[in-house]
Amino acid sequence: MKHVVLLTIDTLRRDTLTQFGCRLPLTPFLDSLIPDSTVFAGAHSVAPYTQASFPGILTSSYIFDTPRAPKLSEKRVLVSEALKRIAGEADITTAAFHSNPYLSDFFGWNRGWDMFYDSMEEDVEDMSPYISGAAIDEKVDNWLQTIDKGRPIFLWVHYMDVHEPYVPDRQYIDRVDGSITLSREQMFALFKDVLLPRDASNPETVQLLRKLYQAHVCEVDDYSRRLFDILDKHGILSDAAVIITTDHGDEFGEHGSLSHDGKMYSELVHVPQLIVNPPEAKGVVCEQLVSGVDIAPTILQMFGLESDPAFQGSPLYPLSEYHEAGVYGEAIGKRAHKIKDTDMPAYYYREGKWKIMYRQEEDSWELYNLDADPREQVNRIETAAEAETIKRKLKPRIDREHL
Amino acid sequence: MPKIELSSDRITELETKIAKSKEIFQQAFERFDVKDTRLIWSGGKDSTLTLWICRQHCEEQGIELPKAFTIDEGDAFEEIDEFLHTYTKQWKVDLDWGRNEDVLKAAHYALDAEVRVADLNERNQAEIKRIGFDLQAFPFEAESYVGNHLMKTVVFNTYLENNGIKAVFQGLRWDEQKARAKDPYLEDVEAAQLTPSHARYRPILHFSERDIWDTTLCFNIPFCPLYEKGYRSLGAKTTSLKSSDIPAWKQDLENTQERAGRRQDKEKTMERLRKLGYM
Repeated sequence: MKHVVLLTIDTLRRDTLTQFGCRLPLTPFLDSLIPDSTVFAGAHSVAPYTQASFPGILTSSYIFDTPRAPKLSEKRVLVSEALKRIAGEADITTAAFHSNPYLSDFFGWNRGWDMFYDSMEEDVEDMSPYISGAAIDEKVDNWLQTIDKGRPIFLWVHYMDVHEPYVPDRQYIDRVDGSITLSREQMFALFKDVLLPRDASNPETVQLLRKLYQAHVCEVDDYSRRLFDILDKHGILSDAAVIITTDHGDEFGEHGSLSHDGKMYSELVHVPQLIVNPPEAKGVVCEQLVSGVDIAPTILQMFGLESDPAFQGSPLYPLSEYHEAGVYGEAIGKRAHKIKDTDMPAYYYREGKWKIMYRQEEDSWELYNLDADPREQVNRIETAAEAETIKRKLKPRIDREHL
Repeated sequence: MPKIELSSDRITELETKIAKSKEIFQQAFERFDVKDTRLIWSGGKDSTLTLWICRQHCEEQGIELPKAFTIDEGDAFEEIDEFLHTYTKQWKVDLDWGRNEDVLKAAHYALDAEVRVADLNERNQAEIKRIGFDLQAFPFEAESYVGNHLMKTVVFNTYLENNGIKAVFQGLRWDEQKARAKDPYLEDVEAAQLTPSHARYRPILHFSERDIWDTTLCFNIPFCPLYEKGYRSLGAKTTSLKSSDIPAWKQDLENTQERAGRRQDKEKTMERLRKLGYM
């Protein structure tokens, strides 16, 4: 494939796709891509929120590799920088279109891109504090008109629309549940009064929030379809591999809370991932555990380039050579939207059916048998014979020197 | 001094704009004692024009020239410093310099040095908390979000407080960026935590970037030589970039962004985070 497109959909839970068990047709377009894709059923994000997970996706590194700081460290190598360095400045055109403030120029993510649009100049509404996927698509369309398509392109597109506040348009609410009659103000009030305080005490309200969230998922499915149309219109799609994934999921009371904080449960870190028009294994469901840190090396590989020495992940292809060694993640174990300086790290490691987690703040360990207990409800740390073996695999990461 | 040819209609138009600015100064001086006002003078083209109009107005009206105030963020162009020193003398301006000595000291006066929050005084620590940052350390950059707040906003507020300033004159313009498009000529800022109440007068709001250059060149108003080298907008040295190699006034002012070479996304980025609930 000549071009590579990375489409990341912020906060997209794995179970919103029919492929991964969703019973509602929320994503007919994404579902329709499955036959042309490698489906990565065991894909894991390295962290449960943007600032910690995107270093995994775009720099193939983990959050505690560099000192805690709001800005992306200069020491990390963005996939765009690696492409420029390895392929030479003129060989591959790199472009980014997104609307996530944590990934903005201000926070140091504008490196190695020929085109970097982060939308931070635009004014946004409180109820929809980002540029919609529709507008992102339009930017991509306009940009593609202006560039030389003879050269290989690496295009990263990121949609924010699924992220709270959940104030979806009527047409999308109707696709999920036409009986919801909330006004936009009422939906926004749920964000302020229920979601921000992390109040998961009322199951009916949680269910309502989940439906509003799902409406946004329907919305990004439309934007994804439109993006593919645009790629097709510019003659790129037939010659492009498209990686579709997310930075993390979202919680709807599964572990007592809402949104996505510093917890390592599956609803947050077990993520959807497919590669459309893959170099091989089209229509294959890959059950291996793969990680967000594998994405950047895979992109380089798709351009026929060696991986960057700074990258910690491995290329996903050929699937038969991918060495599964378990997946690992780390983040600040915050329990609210805001990260406090005093918040301490949290970690997870998954290998086979076992997933172990450690929270430094409480010095607490959890171990789950995901075959028997996919919802991670029964902590087996004291009762599983494998506990010590798995613990030993996570320990070196925890004991790593922290800055 | 570069010359400019303007039609008499255009000169009349600029004179009308200057007269409008003088009205704003007059309103301020009717409400406040000159001694309680300050003109914010960065050494850039806009605040220099503001000062030039103010001097003229004060001379005409027999009013004492207000003192001026400039903020040294610790990352200033030498050319701007030199310009300020030269015209402080030539124009007999009483100029106060403000800087956040506490932060500069903690950064060992070096850009990009790591500043440990624990090394800062109580006021600066409180200010960092106030803008929603829970940091143990941050790199010293004048125009990062934290840097901007400590090196400019805090210095400004502290200066107002210590000198009992009731009103300031700012050289802001409607067309300099979208966020300014609705700014009023006078804004009364109410007292808040760590911010004293004061009035902000913006006498040259109605000048476009083109008006600024036409007026500056037509009336032989001095300007910092960096503009001739291609800078269109001057902020901190390490974050201001030349937008072209030709003088600012010869660039395509109408179709390109004046502040393209300046970081202007910091506030907006923070505003987004606040709206997403992260701050």
